[in-house]
Amino acid sequence: MTTTIERREKAKFGRPSEADLRLKNNRLGMTIFQLSWIMVFLAMIIVNWQLRFSYSEWPPAGVAPFDPLLPSAATLALLLSSYLLRRGLEALRSGRVAGFTLRWRGAMALGVAFMAVIVYEFVNVSAAAMATQYGVTMRLMTGFHFAHALAILAVILHVYRKGSRGHYSGESWAVEGTAKLWYFVTLAWMLFYTVLYWIR
Amino acid sequence: MATIAVPLGAEAEGQEADAIKRPALSEYLRWSVDHKIIGVQYGISSFLFFIIGGAMAMLIRLELWSPDLDLMVSGAAYNSLFTIHGTIMIFLFIIPMWAAFGNFVVPLQLGAKDMAFPWLNAFAFWLIPPAAVVVLLGYFVSPAEAGWTSYPPLSTIFSGDGQTLWALGAHLLGISSIMGSINFIVTIFNMRPPEMTIWRMPLLCWAVLATSIIAVMATPFLAGALTLLLLDRVAGTTFFDAAGGGDVLLWQNIFWFYSHPAVYIMVLPGMGVLSEVLSIHSRKPVFGYRMVGLSSMGIAFVGFTVWAHHMFTSLQPELRIPFMITTMIIAVPTGIKMFSWLGTIWGGKIRFTSAMLFALGFLSLFVIGGITGVMLAALPFDIHVHDTYFVVSHFHFVLFGGSVFAIYAALYHWFPKITGRMMNERLGVIHFVFTYLGFLFTFFPMHIVGMLGMPRRVAVYDARFTDWNQLISFSAFVLGFSTFIVIFNVIRSYYRGPIAGANPWRALTLEWQTTSPPPPTNFVDDPIPFEEPYGYGTAASAAYLEAVDEAFGSGAPDGRGGH
Repeated sequence: MTTTIERREKAKFGRPSEADLRLKNNRLGMTIFQLSWIMVFLAMIIVNWQLRFSYSEWPPAGVAPFDPLLPSAATLALLLSSYLLRRGLEALRSGRVAGFTLRWRGAMALGVAFMAVIVYEFVNVSAAAMATQYGVTMRLMTGFHFAHALAILAVILHVYRKGSRGHYSGESWAVEGTAKLWYFVTLAWMLFYTVLYWIR
Repeated sequence: MATIAVPLGAEAEGQEADAIKRPALSEYLRWSVDHKIIGVQYGISSFLFFIIGGAMAMLIRLELWSPDLDLMVSGAAYNSLFTIHGTIMIFLFIIPMWAAFGNFVVPLQLGAKDMAFPWLNAFAFWLIPPAAVVVLLGYFVSPAEAGWTSYPPLSTIFSGDGQTLWALGAHLLGISSIMGSINFIVTIFNMRPPEMTIWRMPLLCWAVLATSIIAVMATPFLAGALTLLLLDRVAGTTFFDAAGGGDVLLWQNIFWFYSHPAVYIMVLPGMGVLSEVLSIHSRKPVFGYRMVGLSSMGIAFVGFTVWAHHMFTSLQPELRIPFMITTMIIAVPTGIKMFSWLGTIWGGKIRFTSAMLFALGFLSLFVIGGITGVMLAALPFDIHVHDTYFVVSHFHFVLFGGSVFAIYAALYHWFPKITGRMMNERLGVIHFVFTYLGFLFTFFPMHIVGMLGMPRRVAVYDARFTDWNQLISFSAFVLGFSTFIVIFNVIRSYYRGPIAGANPWRALTLEWQTTSPPPPTNFVDDPIPFEEPYGYGTAASAAYLEAVDEAFGSGAPDGRGGH
């Protein structure tokens, strides 16, 4: 028969340390946030899908389909920026601050390039398209996504500036969490990109 | 026997029975990251909204005393009144009220020091007051008239700026709800003591987990729908206007994809409360514990597949039958819970405390709400009673007979833990009698007038319904009056109630294995849960409870304890 004290020791032993628990909580919390908030993007995809039924064809008659060339390049840039964030995070974990700053700088540049293309596409929706839900839902979706990208890019910039001054070392949730927010932006865009440019 | 292990810290041992250490009242008025403070903040503010929303219900019933317009200046004024009534009751009362009990009780039941993200927890709460101000401001600016469901075109072309403010407020409340729910899920998954496997978790935690999963997956759809509504209202888009290529049903689809699961957000925690209260106050293990935990998950899952039953009269005909079937399927996990509750109290040593009375009240009323739900799920019947008082009756049976009765049960059950003092049981019983009878005679006759064809959401009705409506209104006033009894009881008991002790109900879950109210870190030492959360009636549980009494002084000042 185990005594109370033994059980208590065992219980203590089985409890993670405060720091471990916090990291575990942050990671799970982030995952749930990502799962949750991606639902808004799915809701917008459903909006796009349901509004297609208002028209006999999609894009509606007389509206030229969006050219996927520039957005595809921007999507590649976004994917690459996510990859660079990841590599920067790994560099920081193994203690190479210079590697972190270099990669995150590249990621931010690619992120800005992506957003510039999105702004260009948003502004240049034809009047014919804007007269139908084809153009309106495109602006809704890209605009909604842009708002998230902009906010999270600001977070990346903030973390980058602190990180480049050597504020973070090794395992850092601020850096990891920021990168994960950008992965979220990337995934959300991949969904929108597919729906907007490829599903006719 | 090895499980007789409770915190035996020095602080606890030296505690005098009549020296309860409560936070100063001013603590509740400012930013705090303590889940117990936040829980009470949620509770008090939600109850305030319950009173406001209830006062509006009284005005609605006063208007409906006679078949003509008398209290209201116009039908539009009546429309905005029931709109704000529904909005307040759903978004500002029931949903945050469950966050109150979830916040206070869940970390304690898990033996945790706080929620996983204390700061986020406080932030989620403090979004509610500004959101409430925005929504209420809308009522005074130019009120929304579209009902709490805000169907376009009522909410787009036929409502004033109040509708815009309504949407903004609802947006904030949705974000608050998502953040709160993320917190609950992480807390429940990560903060349990190592001895507490998920199959030993109290059923309130199971229910809050299921609720939170629904909230995080469904509430974003509300955010999406509200974004479109705001754009249609202020940016000139036509998402809901067929003339501009939009679709009126788009709102109904997306809104109900949130709001039907939200019905379960409003009632699942109540079901969790019921499992706790019925088991503890009848001194018996929960019947079919695993099935009850899983049925919460089942309801959460099936709840996502039924939304279009709100649109039976507007839906494409070929989609009606599938939604009718899924809606009926949801009666299965709900039925599992019903039978579990009956099995739990069957042959138990039932103590008719106020908490138990309200739990039994829930049981008897929710079953009526559940059965009318199945009736409404049946397509031919639904089309017959569509938009009549039958529907009003159904959802009040579920949301008042269900959620509010569970909220009262939870209040009487956990008040001793929250304040360290017992509620007055005699007043509790009087409160129960008035509430139960008031409720029954308010809402049951609505079935009948609904079947006879009285439409909902109108201030003027056919004179042949007058007698029924006067009975309903009279009972509603009784129901309204009953609220003052509980308010009086809470205030009086807070100052003058008998000292509760750590474990007045002699319960086995962890929130009772610490002082009442618990110290800021909840437990002096890491608590060790009893092997089964509801393992009443065994020698081991009696020994565990005795050890708790030894550590904290004996509870059960009413002398009705048992094991």
